[in-house]
Amino acid sequence: MARHYKGASPWLVLGLPVALGLAWITQGTGVIENDPERNISIPDELTMPLQVQAAYNDEQIYFRYRWPAEQAHVYHDMLRYTDGKWVRHGNSRPGPDPDGTYEDRVAMLVDDGGVPDFGRYGGYITVGDQMRFFSDSASPTDVSAHPHLGQQLGQSDVRKYLPATRTDQSDWRSVADADVLAAQREAGYFLDLWHWRAGRSNPIGASDDQWVGEYRNSDAGSGPYTTNWDAEAEQPLWMLDPEETGKRALRWEDVTSGKVDFDGLYYLSEDNRTDFDPDHDWQEGDVIPRRLLRAPEGSRGSIAVHGQARWEDGYWDVTLVRDLDTGSPLDDKIFTEQGIYDIGIAVYRNATGSRWHYVSHPYTLGLGRDAELQAVAFEGDAPEWPDDWFEMTLFYPGQVDWPLLISHAHAGAEDIAEGTPVRARHSEKQLALYGVEMEFNDAITTRWLMTLIAGLIAMLGVTLALLTTFRPTRLGDRS
Amino acid sequence: MTGMHHMLVHFPLGFWALATLMILVGALLPGRMAELSRAALLPVLVLSLLGALAAIVTGFLIWPLEANLASPLARNHILMALWSLGIFAMLTVLVWRAGSAAFDGARRWVLVILALIGGLFFAAAGTLGGHLVGAPTLFSDVLGLMGWEVYTTFYSPLWVIAMMVIIGIALGALGIMSQRRTG
Repeated sequence: MARHYKGASPWLVLGLPVALGLAWITQGTGVIENDPERNISIPDELTMPLQVQAAYNDEQIYFRYRWPAEQAHVYHDMLRYTDGKWVRHGNSRPGPDPDGTYEDRVAMLVDDGGVPDFGRYGGYITVGDQMRFFSDSASPTDVSAHPHLGQQLGQSDVRKYLPATRTDQSDWRSVADADVLAAQREAGYFLDLWHWRAGRSNPIGASDDQWVGEYRNSDAGSGPYTTNWDAEAEQPLWMLDPEETGKRALRWEDVTSGKVDFDGLYYLSEDNRTDFDPDHDWQEGDVIPRRLLRAPEGSRGSIAVHGQARWEDGYWDVTLVRDLDTGSPLDDKIFTEQGIYDIGIAVYRNATGSRWHYVSHPYTLGLGRDAELQAVAFEGDAPEWPDDWFEMTLFYPGQVDWPLLISHAHAGAEDIAEGTPVRARHSEKQLALYGVEMEFNDAITTRWLMTLIAGLIAMLGVTLALLTTFRPTRLGDRS
Repeated sequence: MTGMHHMLVHFPLGFWALATLMILVGALLPGRMAELSRAALLPVLVLSLLGALAAIVTGFLIWPLEANLASPLARNHILMALWSLGIFAMLTVLVWRAGSAAFDGARRWVLVILALIGGLFFAAAGTLGGHLVGAPTLFSDVLGLMGWEVYTTFYSPLWVIAMMVIIGIALGALGIMSQRRTG
């Protein structure tokens, strides 16, 4: 016989939508925040567009890059006279340089098929174990003590390297023997790196030329800049030549104004420098660039700016040119008619450097053959660019390295082992969001688990609250 | 195990969709169809739980646990699947306990609210499963319009987690006390 009861109200069920609704509305908050101590700085925008064109004639190949940037950042690594000392501004740091004294850049990795994984996974394959500026980056002491990276190459950080240059993918120290590295390079197992810098190369119409093997190496020869610093005297080696330029230094207020006169004076080069005068009456706020620009030589000077690379109306427009065959097959990827190549492009803007860049998926480049980016053949000295761009979306890659991607912690590791390209599985937006989440993976995993369990606890509690309401009685029955 | 999981997930998704429909019909419509829906709901819910357990177990075997915990999509899929299981377990317990009186009075609205929440969750779990095998649907965009970018992990700030636990404990205690009072 049914009996009357005075149970809890059925409307206690509303506790559940309240609890889960709160979870839904606030989800994704409370964990991700900048943490310079851990080398974490999340850019405001996770993706950005890039337009690219390519053209070639019998001798040379041209790449034109165009990308949006709120302003041009052409100052880089500056010495500011402060309280009687020359203080450095604009070295690498997490996130944007607060003074804006970090240069814009565009970098392009190129392969001719010698590194097949590059065509499938792009720059991810160059992100190895304990890279510099990762939260777990290798200590400078350890790298300096390494027999190859430290003692032979003289480096103190881990930069881009290719997987097969290590015998253990999870250990940056496991560099292959020197003869193996040399054989790999001979076999074409390296990536060519075109590296244009708005401050350290563009003012003299140059670009850096590097290659990635067991490290991010520079091509043979000398680069477009050297260091303007006398460590012993703690002062610059050179200053602006007052006879040439009418001044000895730049001014801090000009450097940080956010404006640049490309036809004016904003750099120090072999053409406008003289020996530093320590006896000059230096004023607070005087600025001398810590880099001296000079014409690059040898293989490292193979790439030049075509025309004038300029920022105008919110866009950088940069064209680089290089001989199809530089004569340096151990430093450069040689382009030939009917060739297919893989490229991956990175852009630095908003006064950020190091790993705080935007990168592209890998794309194919064809010279006379169908490819995603078609290099257009032309005759003459300079290409006439059509208004027909190859559009890319670049993304912030976060802290995702190759050892992680091929490990059990990556659900797609089997796909990589089978050779499935990254573009078949992940969009740029997805990779950017994943890249950010990986920077907080432990905290997010913990918080996710807590959220999951809390939701189940709320469900259990609501169920218990409703049990009396759901007794097998007719509502309103009387015993 | 991937194929096995893909096959087995049809059972909870099918039964949960059917159960949601039966609850809506049973609660909102008159007539024979509503009576049938009310009468047949419990076995459908029980079968859905059995199917869900099988699907979830096989789902955990597809990738290493390490990979499941490192993937935002996998984490979201797991959360939505387990919360779906939780909601439909609630429905099963309540319908089982109330028997033929489960739809009486305001109870029906309890069932409707839970069914709608469960429907949202299992639809999300399903679409996230599609993402994981490389077949996203427009429902992801719907979730995006609701404020959730599915490529980011669903987690809450600590104060919300605390609120959820407090709500659960408070209502649970209330329910236990109520049961003791009513015998």
